[in-house]
Amino acid sequence: MLDWTIVVPAFLTAAVEWVEAFTIVLAVSLSIGWRAAAGAALAAFATLAVMTAATGGVLGLGLDVRWLQLAIGVFLLLFGVRWLAKAVARGAGLKALHDEAQEFADTRAKLARGDWTASWLIAFKGVLLEGLEVWLIVVAFGLHGRAWASSTTGALAALLIVIATGLVIRAPLQRVPENTIKFAVGSMITAFGTFWMLEGIGGGAAVWPWGDWSLLGLAAFYALGGLALMALMRKRSTVGAVQ
Amino acid sequence: MSAFLKTLFGDAGTVAVVAIILAAELLLVDYDQAASAAFAVPILVLAGIAWLARR
Repeated sequence: MLDWTIVVPAFLTAAVEWVEAFTIVLAVSLSIGWRAAAGAALAAFATLAVMTAATGGVLGLGLDVRWLQLAIGVFLLLFGVRWLAKAVARGAGLKALHDEAQEFADTRAKLARGDWTASWLIAFKGVLLEGLEVWLIVVAFGLHGRAWASSTTGALAALLIVIATGLVIRAPLQRVPENTIKFAVGSMITAFGTFWMLEGIGGGAAVWPWGDWSLLGLAAFYALGGLALMALMRKRSTVGAVQ
Repeated sequence: MSAFLKTLFGDAGTVAVVAIILAAELLLVDYDQAASAAFAVPILVLAGIAWLARR
């Protein structure tokens, strides 16, 4: 039975990362061909799969649940605040939106200076680094509550959809609303991170006034707080520009 | 290696924000204020996000 509260954030996180990885692989494929670029991506996926199995196995054995919750909470919070802050800054116009077409052009420019091996490594490293965040989410959600099937399903479903869409349009996936997804996922992941971190330190779900339902309250608080911050920062930057 | 670490942990600012939140939680729980921490920590996290976004 899939846990949709895990499937959805895992799917959305993975979708954003796989879109970025696809852009890199697409750019590399124009230099060294589809087979070599796909080979580099497969090698990166294999590395990520081994990492997921290894860390899941090691962390799942004999580690006190409280320490596990604390460690997962810290990692999720590191990830969540970064994404939410970035989405708020972009939404407020303080930072430029991520542009897949620009990313594609930058990678092509980088490739023009390198040889076959360098190009292969760019594809491998690109998929591996983008996939690291997916790995983090899959392991964090998988370990907590033993939701391996749900977190893996979310990440793999996103991968299949990105690959299928990419193969059909054969261009960088520019129309994915990356900042909106980052904002939503950032709110959810920050909520999970806050919840598990305090649970790990405080000794159980009892520290949260509404138990597991507090997660929903936290996610709503961060989403509404993020929107308020965005509006406030946009207003300030507009006032600053006028002055 | 630096790209690997940055992907996993974020930059120094992100690590500092989470370290401050962790320290505040430890302090509150240590002083038997876990119930207050449930309300104070989200506000602290949002303040951290605001600071990170403005940098």
